Amino acid sequence: MPKLTIDGKEIEVPGGLTVLQACELAGVEIPRFCYHERLSVAGNCRMCLVEMGQAPKPIASCAMPAGDGMVIRTDTPVVKKARQGVMEFLLINHPLDCPICDQGGECDLQDQAMAFGVDHSRYQENKRAVPEKYMGPLIKTIMTRCIHCTRCIRFATEIAGVEEMGALNRGGHVEITTLEKAIDSELSGNLIDVCPVGALTSRPYAFTARSWELRKTNSVDALDAVGSNIRVDARGREVMRVLPRLHEDVNEEWISDKTRYACDGLARQRLDRPYLRKDGRLRPVSWDEAFRAIAARLDGLDGGKIAALAGDLCDAESMLALKDLMAALGSPHLDCRQDGAKIGAKIGGAGPRAGYLFNTTIAGIERADAALLVGTNPRHEATLVNARLRKRFLMGGFRVGLIGAPCDLSYPVDTLGAGPETLSELAAGTGAFAEVLTAAERPMIVLGMAALARPDGAAVLHLARALAEKFGMIGEDWNGFNLLHGAAARVGGLDLGFLPGDGGRDRDGILDGVHGGDIEVVYLLGADEIDMARLGPNAQEGAFVIYQGHHGDAGAHRADVILPGAAYTEKNGTYVNTEGRVQLGRLAVSPPGEARADWTILRALSEVVGQRLPYDDLGALRQRLVAVNPVFAAVDRVEAAPWGEFGEQGKLDGAPFGVAVENYYMTDPISRASETMASCAEVFGSGRAGEATGTDG
Amino acid sequence: MFDKVLLKNAEIPNAHGIGAYEAAGGYRALATVLHEYSPDELIQLVKDSNLRGRGGAGFPTGVKWGFVPKDPALEKYLCCNADESEPGTFKDRVIMEKDPHQMIEGMVIGAYAIGAQKAYIYIRGEYVLSIERTEAALKEAYRKGYLGERILGTDFNLEMFVHCGAGAYICGEETALLESVEGRRAQPKLKPPFPVVEGLYGCPTVINNVETLACLPHIVQRGAEWFRGIGPERSPGPKLYCLSGHVRKPGLYELPMGISLRELVEDHGGGPRSGGRIKAVIPGGVSAPMIPESGLDVAMDFDSLAAIDTMLGSAGVIVLDETACVVRVAKRITEFFNHESCGKCTPCREGLDWAVKILRRLEDGRGKHEDLDQLERLCGSIFGNSFCALGDGAAWALSAALKHFRDEFVRHIEDGRCPFH
Repeated sequence: MPKLTIDGKEIEVPGGLTVLQACELAGVEIPRFCYHERLSVAGNCRMCLVEMGQAPKPIASCAMPAGDGMVIRTDTPVVKKARQGVMEFLLINHPLDCPICDQGGECDLQDQAMAFGVDHSRYQENKRAVPEKYMGPLIKTIMTRCIHCTRCIRFATEIAGVEEMGALNRGGHVEITTLEKAIDSELSGNLIDVCPVGALTSRPYAFTARSWELRKTNSVDALDAVGSNIRVDARGREVMRVLPRLHEDVNEEWISDKTRYACDGLARQRLDRPYLRKDGRLRPVSWDEAFRAIAARLDGLDGGKIAALAGDLCDAESMLALKDLMAALGSPHLDCRQDGAKIGAKIGGAGPRAGYLFNTTIAGIERADAALLVGTNPRHEATLVNARLRKRFLMGGFRVGLIGAPCDLSYPVDTLGAGPETLSELAAGTGAFAEVLTAAERPMIVLGMAALARPDGAAVLHLARALAEKFGMIGEDWNGFNLLHGAAARVGGLDLGFLPGDGGRDRDGILDGVHGGDIEVVYLLGADEIDMARLGPNAQEGAFVIYQGHHGDAGAHRADVILPGAAYTEKNGTYVNTEGRVQLGRLAVSPPGEARADWTILRALSEVVGQRLPYDDLGALRQRLVAVNPVFAAVDRVEAAPWGEFGEQGKLDGAPFGVAVENYYMTDPISRASETMASCAEVFGSGRAGEATGTDG
Repeated sequence: MFDKVLLKNAEIPNAHGIGAYEAAGGYRALATVLHEYSPDELIQLVKDSNLRGRGGAGFPTGVKWGFVPKDPALEKYLCCNADESEPGTFKDRVIMEKDPHQMIEGMVIGAYAIGAQKAYIYIRGEYVLSIERTEAALKEAYRKGYLGERILGTDFNLEMFVHCGAGAYICGEETALLESVEGRRAQPKLKPPFPVVEGLYGCPTVINNVETLACLPHIVQRGAEWFRGIGPERSPGPKLYCLSGHVRKPGLYELPMGISLRELVEDHGGGPRSGGRIKAVIPGGVSAPMIPESGLDVAMDFDSLAAIDTMLGSAGVIVLDETACVVRVAKRITEFFNHESCGKCTPCREGLDWAVKILRRLEDGRGKHEDLDQLERLCGSIFGNSFCALGDGAAWALSAALKHFRDEFVRHIEDGRCPFH
C-alpha cells in the first residue's frame, strides 16, 4: 500500500495503481483524453501531466505507477501551463464546429477546454483537414475533429478483437483510419462512446437531437439475455438513442450494436390499436370489441383446448398474469420456450435453477481457466458474454474448445467437432481437450440453445451435466455449468413456471394439438419465432389466435385478434438475465396510440372473460411474483443456485448442432423493424463488403 | 599525435573482410572474454572503464548492463542501434562500411555479458552499403565460428540478425526501434518498464550504439585503465567526431573525448571556408542546441557540453559561417523534426507543425514581432511535455537559435525579406 502526498495531502492507495488513479482517490481531478480505464495506457495526449517530486519535467500521470513516498503536485503554475499548452495544441487543428457537432454538450474536449484551457487562440495559420473514413452504417466520421488519442484503435484491437483500425502517416499528417469498410464487430457502437470528441458519432442519430433535450431513463436491455444496463434517451414520445450504463458484473460499460441501434425499430411497424379479423381481414376495433370477441370464442370452451406461448421479449409480470389467467381458464398448456429448447423437467416445472442458468456468472468468466462451448456462437447470441470471454483470453492461460458450427469469436478456439458425438467422446475422457479440462482448476461449459432446441436436447443437457461433474466443474465455490440463453424473457419464464402444467403440452404438443384439433385457441404473448403455419391458415381450419404484442410481425400477421402491448422501453417490467439476475426495466416513453402495458391488458381481459385476476397495480402483481418464486425479490443479486438432477438420459442424434442466431441483426420484432439493423444486415450479410461509395449519408 | 583506435583499420584496403580484421588482431578479445571472464567480471570491467553510450544520451554502458535481470529462465536480447539518422552524423556508417567485424565482435562480447542468445542489428534503411557489408560480415563470422552455436568451443551460443529500417528517424529512439523490429508502427513506448527489464518481445533487452559496441574489444584487450586514461575521467575514451558544414576539411575524425571544440574545428577541420568567419557550431547533431562562436572553447564531452545547455549527442559537429542564415537553418531543422515526428503525442505533433508554419513566414519576411514570442512559448509548451526526446530536442534546438540570434529573426521581420538570400 504505497503512501503518496498529493497536493499536500497524504493518501495511502492500493498497490498497482497509477498516479492518475491515486489522484482520483484523493479527490483531485486529472484531465485526460487518451487514458481510459478499460484500455491499455497510451500516454500520448499529455493532458494528464503533473509534477512529481524533484523530477525535472512534468510526468504523464496516467502512465506512472504510484510509488511509496511520491510527492505529486497538480496545482502548480507548471502543471497549469502544461495543460493550457496541450489544450491549445489540441484545438489548433480542431475545427471548433461545436454548433453543428453531435458531440456538443457531451464532449470531453469542450468540457476540458472550458476547465483547463484559455479563452482565445493564438493560432493564425491554416488548419489542417482530414478526409472522412467509411466505417459502415453505424458510425459517422468527421476526422478533422480527431485529436489522435487512439482510444478507438485500442478499443477495436483490445476489446472488440478486430484489428481494423490504425494510424496512417506521421507527425501533423497522422490520420486514424479503417480498412474503408464497416467495422466487423458487434461492439462497434462503443467506439462512439470511447471517442472523447466528435470524430466518431452515431450515424443513425446524426443531427436528430441535442443531449440536453433528452429525457434519460435508466433501464435494461431486452434484445438478448445478457440484461445489459442501458440508458434510454427520449424526446417526447420517441426513443432517440440507447446508451450503455455501467454495470461491472454484466456489461461493464459496453453494449452491443443491436442493443444500441435497434431503437429506431421501436417507432416502426407498431401495433397501436386493437384489431379483429373479420371476413378474413384484420380491422381496427375498440378494446371492448376485441375483448368481447375473445370472450365469445372462449365461452363454453373447455380449458384444455386453450394454450399459451410466451415470446422472447416478455417481462415477467405479463407472463405471470397470463399464466394466472390460463390457470383460471383451466388450461395447463403453456410454454415460454418458443424455440422448443428442452430445458426443465418434462413434468413439474423448470427443475433445479442451476440446470438453466449461466451459473458461472458473466463476471465469473474472468476466474475460469478453460471453457468448452457447445452449440453456441456467443458473439451473436450474447455479445457481451463473448466480450468477457475475450477479456479472459487476453489475461492469458485460457483455452477454449468449441463443439458446433465453426465461428470467429475474436479469440482462438479449438474446434473439436460438430455435434453430440464429439460431446460424448469428450465426456468419456477422450481427445486432447479432455486433458485441458482435467488440468484446469476452474473449467466451464457453455451450452447454447442450438444444442438444446432439438429433439435430443434433453439428452444433450443430461450428457453436459455429466461432463460437468466428471471434469470437476461443480465445486464448493465454483459452478462451471452454464446455459447461454438468447431470449430476455426465458429465465424469468422458467423461474415463474411458464411451462406445461399437469397434463400440459409443450410448444410442440400445442402446435401438434392445433393440427389434431385438440387445441382451439392459442394465446401468443409476443411469440413471433414459432412456425405460424402450424397454427393453421385461419381460425376455421386451425386455431383461433390471440396475439398480444407490440410489432406487426409474424404473430400479428396470423392473428385473429390483436391486442397492442408495450415494447420494453414503454413499460416497467422485470427481466431475469441468463445468469439469473433479476433486473428492472423502466418506462421511458408511453406506448403508442392505444397500446397498453401488457399486464394491464391481461388484467382487463380477465375481467371480460369472467376470471378477474387479483391484482390491481404493479405492486400487487410483483408481490404475487415473489410469492411464486422468491428469487424475484432479490433484485440485481445473483446467488448460487443449488445443483440437482436435470436433463434426461436418452439417445443422441448424429446431426451436428445448428446455429441459434442466423442473422445477428434481425432476431426479434424490434430489430426486424429497424432500418438501421436492416442496413447492417445488408452490409454484413453480403460477405462483409460495404465498400465506400464516396457519398456520405 | 593520438593513435587511432576505432578507425585504425579504416585505411587498410578491404578492411571489412574478416581476413584483414583477424590479421589486425580481431576476435582475440572475444576469445579472451569467453575463456577468461565471467559475465559479471566483464560487466565490472566495462563499469571500470567508464564507457558511456555513444548514441547521444551518454548513459554508462556497464551500469545499463548491470540492470539486466539475472534470471536464466528469461530470454534476453541485445540490439545494436545502427539507425544513424541524426542530421550531421556519419560515424556508425563508417564503422559498418569499413570495419563491420569490430562492431560484431563488440556485440558478441556484449551479448555474453548480459546472457543474450539473440542479437539484432537495426540498420538505417538508406545505408545500403552498411547493410551489405554487415550481412557479408555476419556470414563470415558464422563460418569462422564467432557466431552460432558453441562459439569458440565454449557453451555460449549467439544468433545475430540484421533488421533494416525503412526511413524513419524515430526508429533511433530505442523503444520505437523495438516496435519496428517486432513489426509494428514505429512509435516510442512508455517507460517504465524500461527495455532493459521488458523490451523486445517482452524480454530484457539492451540497446547499444554501434560506436559503443565497437569500443568493447579494445577495452578487453587494453584494459579499463587505458580506456579511462583517454580524455576526461568521467567521460573517457576515443571518440568519433563527424565534422561537416562550412569548414575546409569536413570528415570523420577520431580524437580523444574532451578535445576542445575550437581545436576540432580550427586545427583538425582547417577552420572556416576561405575568408569566412564562424558564426555558430552545432556540436552534436541537429537536436543539440547551437553554440555561438564565442562559446567554442568548450570540451567535447558529455558533462562539459551539458553545463553550457547543449549536448555532445551524436557528435555531429556542424559549422555555420557568416553566410548562413540562422532563421533558415532553424526552419530547416524544425521542418526535419516535424517531418520525422511520429505523431503520437500532442505537443510534438501539433507544436512542431505550428512552429514550422511560423518559421516559413518569418524566413519569407512575412513575420511579425509577436511571432518570436509565440515561438518561444511554443518551445516552452513542447519542451518537457512531449512523449520522447524528439519533441524535446526540436524545441531545445529552436529555442537556442532564438536565444543566440534573435537579432537575425528581427531583421527578417523588419526588412520584410531574408538579408542573406
